[in-house]
Amino acid sequence: MPNLEPPAGLLAPLDFTSDRTWTAREAAHLLGRSQFGYTSAELDLAIQSGPAETIERLLNTQPEPIEFQQAELALRKTALATGEITDLKIWWLYRMWATANPLAEKMSLLWHNHFATSFDKVRSVAQMLNQNALIRKHALGHFQQLLHGMSRDTAMLVWLDGNANRKRHPNENFAREIMELFALGVGNYTEKDIQEAARAFSGWHVREGVFWFNQSQHDETEKTVFGKVGNFDGAAIVDLCLSQPACPRFLAMKLLKTFVCSEPKQELIEAVATRIRLHDFVMLPVLRELFSSQVFYDGANRRSLIKSPLDLVVGSLRALAATVKWPSITKLLANLGQDVFEPPSVKGWEGGRLWINSSSILLRTNFATELASTEQLASLRGSVTDVASETSDSIVAGLGRLLMGDLVEGELHASLVALHQLAEGNSLQKLRATIQLILSLPEYQLY
Amino acid sequence: MPSSTRREFLQLLGSAGLISLGAIPPRFLVTAAEAAGVAARDKRVLVLIQLAGGNDGLNTLIPHGDPAYEKARPGIGIPKPQVLRLNDQVGLHPNLTGLRELYEEGKLAILQGVGYPNPDRSHFRSMDIWQSAQPLNDNPRDGWLGRASEWQFDRQPALAEALSLGSDKLPLAFVSTRVNVPSLHRLEDFQLVDGQGPTANRDRIRTTIKKLVADPASGELDFLRRATTTALTSAERLKSLSATYRTTVNYPSTGLASRLKLVAQMLTADLPARMFVVSLDGFDTHSQQQPGHAALMAELSGAIRAFEQDLAEHKLSDRVVLATYSEFGRRVAENGSLGTDHGAASMLFALTPTGKGGLHGTYPSLTDLTDGDLKFNIDFRSVYATILDKWLEIPSAEVIGEAFQPTGFI
Repeated sequence: MPNLEPPAGLLAPLDFTSDRTWTAREAAHLLGRSQFGYTSAELDLAIQSGPAETIERLLNTQPEPIEFQQAELALRKTALATGEITDLKIWWLYRMWATANPLAEKMSLLWHNHFATSFDKVRSVAQMLNQNALIRKHALGHFQQLLHGMSRDTAMLVWLDGNANRKRHPNENFAREIMELFALGVGNYTEKDIQEAARAFSGWHVREGVFWFNQSQHDETEKTVFGKVGNFDGAAIVDLCLSQPACPRFLAMKLLKTFVCSEPKQELIEAVATRIRLHDFVMLPVLRELFSSQVFYDGANRRSLIKSPLDLVVGSLRALAATVKWPSITKLLANLGQDVFEPPSVKGWEGGRLWINSSSILLRTNFATELASTEQLASLRGSVTDVASETSDSIVAGLGRLLMGDLVEGELHASLVALHQLAEGNSLQKLRATIQLILSLPEYQLY
Repeated sequence: MPSSTRREFLQLLGSAGLISLGAIPPRFLVTAAEAAGVAARDKRVLVLIQLAGGNDGLNTLIPHGDPAYEKARPGIGIPKPQVLRLNDQVGLHPNLTGLRELYEEGKLAILQGVGYPNPDRSHFRSMDIWQSAQPLNDNPRDGWLGRASEWQFDRQPALAEALSLGSDKLPLAFVSTRVNVPSLHRLEDFQLVDGQGPTANRDRIRTTIKKLVADPASGELDFLRRATTTALTSAERLKSLSATYRTTVNYPSTGLASRLKLVAQMLTADLPARMFVVSLDGFDTHSQQQPGHAALMAELSGAIRAFEQDLAEHKLSDRVVLATYSEFGRRVAENGSLGTDHGAASMLFALTPTGKGGLHGTYPSLTDLTDGDLKFNIDFRSVYATILDKWLEIPSAEVIGEAFQPTGFI
């Protein structure tokens, strides 16, 4: 990889020595967007070590504690042994909550949403797990390798009818989705491109749970895709998709919508697409530039995204929970509309305002109530509840820092202090009531 | 409205303390008092059933009189003797017995050859087109019913209510940049839990939330505050509905039937919502189509039949138009997996209380095709124009953006 000049313009790095001070707010913004929430200790460390070191810690693999390794292995083996997708969901949710590498999980979720594949049709925990391992392996790595891997992934082949794609009866399902949803986006291909590409993927089958190139069902004749003529096979089509200018733009859009803003301007999309191309589709350096950029910390992009159910629920648990009742949490996430390993369709979760309707607002409010006031979902961390000697003001300030990126001011601050002062019960009940109110607020649904 | 229901309903309104709740009026409730005085003809209701995945129109309304049908469908065609004949040319899928009864009673309209120019075969794109009614807009921000709600809201807010049932996300049809449409699965889903801890704290928390969300904000925060207001007030309102509804109709135990029953419950309780969308998924039948499609046909027919009987029992039939739609039909020729791939023009059903049931439009030719697909003769926007102009009395040209000639089913 050649050493590149840092980006200019919209993506120019923010200078924390002169442009802006690195405070709890900036640190919370970075951790909130790049992880599923953060603990008090993570926030303290980020404030202390500064932006550059924090970003490198996020990007580079950190050693996982032995407890995590043991629990992760046990949960994974359980899922494989039972064949129950709920057990695999718990495995992944546990990872998101406990890992020392939260950005890898966040990117894995981005790719799961991008290549949205559902157990509902795949019906194999092992295949869903393999696909997840493929995603995690390339989560911050080469998109080319991920796309090539995905075109031969067994869960994907089952999901998009690979075995039905035969020489004399091409099935367009995968060819359509690689163009529409995986690499290019609507408007960057023709129906004819799809029909021709489908023939190139013919014979890409699954046999006994592994990828199998079924030569006898592969169409060896000439195909014309994106105006190029050749006897293309599936791998050639993947490469052709990757060579389209729409591809880095499509990925730039995904990254921006996940990490920066809900409606990125064309100019910003182009800027990120250019960096994706320059970095040869490797995600890690692109993310480094994004997390260091002026646009990432711009006031207009702070607390401007609506939390997905996973951001809300796992984020709250990361900040507050000592132990978690995972089966209840899994069910809650499904009700909130984000059921991992079972996305609603190949289009995945659209997110943003579409997470919100009356029913989901009530479920989010009920989550706040149950997490803060009961033991039905989780038990609270000692570090959170050990506040007996503090004043209402300092308790609200501490919770505001942990849960709201240090942005509790004015009427909101006054309302929270008033609630804490007037709340009945012992110091823990008063604290729980205050947490419940924060978690119920529309402000808390943003990050 | 039965007076007991009205009383409970107005009590709820009072107890919810609505008027103080928001800068943007919580329409769902604030306007309910007005709704109580609205004339019956203004309480006309639209129920849309979304058949998600692309319903195979050819195996729903079967052109059994056309030899080309058998030829195109050697593996999955419905054998002639099993077709529920409507005439010498067409008939219904054998599992659509309930719909055939409704057809014979003159209550069911069947619109043939519905589609749009330059059809798109992507589920998502074509669904967006149907729901936005804007085929040329690549990235629609709102839906046709969302825009209809806005028009209505600006003139008679009491009539602008809508509800989505059984979808995980709000269908684009209902999306509006200004109006929040609630969506729910079951009435029980729509309740606040009490949690533990002192009751006084719970009450204080709720009061504080209501106070804080009443302030207008901007951007996503404003959106969330409005949504929170709508949700909290709706929850209080819907709390007592289950208790007031009775029916002797035996609804089948299917998802669609339970969703339509919920619509009937809400209509019975005189909830002011007048547009409902419910979804039935699973129509993307690329392989081994027959058994799955047959089950969906049975679910569709049974649910609509029961719903219609329930409406009749509660003397609500005259207030309801129900219509189905799907993002596209399937290819005329079956594929090699005993299934069908994404196609273009198709047909739709409409339950109409105006005596205009029967067949509308003409069955598209099975041999004069575009890219292997049926040609449309009714633009789906004409169907919307019919519903908007003739039923909801909302000017369709303003909602759709251009004028379409209504078709004759209302």
